[in-house]
Amino acid sequence: MLEIVGLTVAYGPVIALQDVSMSIPHGSITAVLGANGAGKTTLVRTISGLVRPRTGSVRLDHTEISRLAPEEIARLGIAHVPEGRGVLAELTVEENLRLGGLWRKDPTDRRRALAEAYELFAPLAGRRHLPASTLSGGERQMLSIARALVARPRVLLLDEPSLGLAGRVLGQIMARIKHLVRERGLTVLLIEQNARSALSIADEAVVLSLGRVAAADRARRLAGEEGLRHAYLGF
Amino acid sequence: MGRFVVLTLNGLTEGAIYAAMALALVMIWRATRVVNFAQGAMAMFTTYLALFALERGAPYWAAFIVALLCGLLLGAVVERVLVRPVESAPPLNVVILTLGVLLVLEALAPMLFGGQIRSFPAAFSIVGMRVGSLAIPFSPFDLFTLGSVLGLMVILLLLFQKTDLGLRMRAAAFNAEVSRLLGIRVGRMLTLGWALASMVGALAGVLIAPSLLLYPTYMDQVLVFGFTGAILGGLDSPPGAVVGGLAIGFALSYVGGYFGSDLETVGALVILVAVLMIRPRGLFAWQSQRQV
Ligand SMILES: Nc1ncnc2c1ncn2[C@@H]1O[C@H](COP(=O)(O)OP(=O)(O)OP(=O)(O)O)[C@@H](O)[C@H]1O
Ligand SMILES: [Mg+2]
Repeated sequence: MLEIVGLTVAYGPVIALQDVSMSIPHGSITAVLGANGAGKTTLVRTISGLVRPRTGSVRLDHTEISRLAPEEIARLGIAHVPEGRGVLAELTVEENLRLGGLWRKDPTDRRRALAEAYELFAPLAGRRHLPASTLSGGERQMLSIARALVARPRVLLLDEPSLGLAGRVLGQIMARIKHLVRERGLTVLLIEQNARSALSIADEAVVLSLGRVAAADRARRLAGEEGLRHAYLGF
Repeated sequence: MGRFVVLTLNGLTEGAIYAAMALALVMIWRATRVVNFAQGAMAMFTTYLALFALERGAPYWAAFIVALLCGLLLGAVVERVLVRPVESAPPLNVVILTLGVLLVLEALAPMLFGGQIRSFPAAFSIVGMRVGSLAIPFSPFDLFTLGSVLGLMVILLLLFQKTDLGLRMRAAAFNAEVSRLLGIRVGRMLTLGWALASMVGALAGVLIAPSLLLYPTYMDQVLVFGFTGAILGGLDSPPGAVVGGLAIGFALSYVGGYFGSDLETVGALVILVAVLMIRPRGLFAWQSQRQV
């Protein structure tokens, strides 16, 4: 379980998150919703150690991780698909994918994870030896997600994975992720602009507004609350 | 034997040295976006350490290894102890820091090893070889120089392109933040990058010392020529650095041979300015397109 307790994060004078608490249960998908600038990206960047919180804590299975370096957090099995460009454009597609699993010890399992990634993301297989700079925007997004899955993470942080992806492709990816959630107990934190589709995928949902938690509930129930939807989710 | 051939062979050996120096500079530039002005002084220092070992009775090859290992160590220490703390400072601070390292090493060397000019042995004969009755102005030591620079480059190429460690190092140099998210210990990779680069510089120092003689500033001009080669190659491209370094070697040899050795340095400057006017981002600019 990923637990966030009393998290306050500031960039100099700008307070991006204020006293945010939530718990993200094992084997579930939690959607984080909110307007632009609500603090969604800040939340996942804090979880993965790129941003240091001013106060509060982040715990993975009761272990405090908010003071660890990002690389050590990644090695605990938290994979972060960053917002926008996360691929290493100078490296080939295959090199990008391999990097995802390099910290894991078992080479046979790494090879298997790589093969699975090509299976799921067919357009990448044909381009494996090309530099990632030659990929289209959507293909880069696929690469970024595929690379995170190669790590066989316990926790997956997805910051707007739908960016640039065709609906059908996104559907396939989400089906795969759902499968991992059910079969392997993967824990997912999903940030999405499109609240309606995120709520249809997620089990739980948290709404952020101006750096605070405005609502948190089962995703289905949140989708049914008309007032909330109008105020924060715009549908 | 034609004068042109003599000058070409001459340029090849010197070019290999400049290529090594250029490569060292490019490796550090790629890893940490720092132009390491202390590269030459660091190589000078490790060559003195090799001489120190020789004078204590060590055989040549042991001293050779001493230079390379001290190069590795010195590069790692400079990165860890000096460059790392100012990592996030404006780039100019780091450049001034490397100039500081240059000054300190060049002041320290005469205090530790004496300031007078010393000779440094070569591994093999420096007398030109003979093929039948034909004398070739290319000595066994020239061959060794060329071979060892080439050998080290091939080893580095294999390391960077064929191993997981090399992949991690490249990723760390291209994008530290994304690399961290992938579990790469970026700090270690950068230290290793500096160490390897410094070792390449140390090799150049040991190889050029027999012909330049050893004194605290003997690597200064090698640094300048190596730097010129690196700029010619676009500063961001290892193959560019090697080609640029070789080009400088040939150019200097031709200028010195046909127009007199007084003009060598001026010649290098003219080449640099000319190339930068025609291709401001270096001969290999198309390789250095980066999306930051
Ligand atoms: N590096 C930074 N320096 C200063 N302020 C920042 C920085 N990053 C984010 N902020 C501020 O913190 C607040 C939250 O930003 P954040 O990126 O977390 O929002 P978001 O919910 O991800 O928005 P979006 O939906 O547009 O991606 C914003 O007000 C933003 O301006
Ligand atoms: Mg965001």
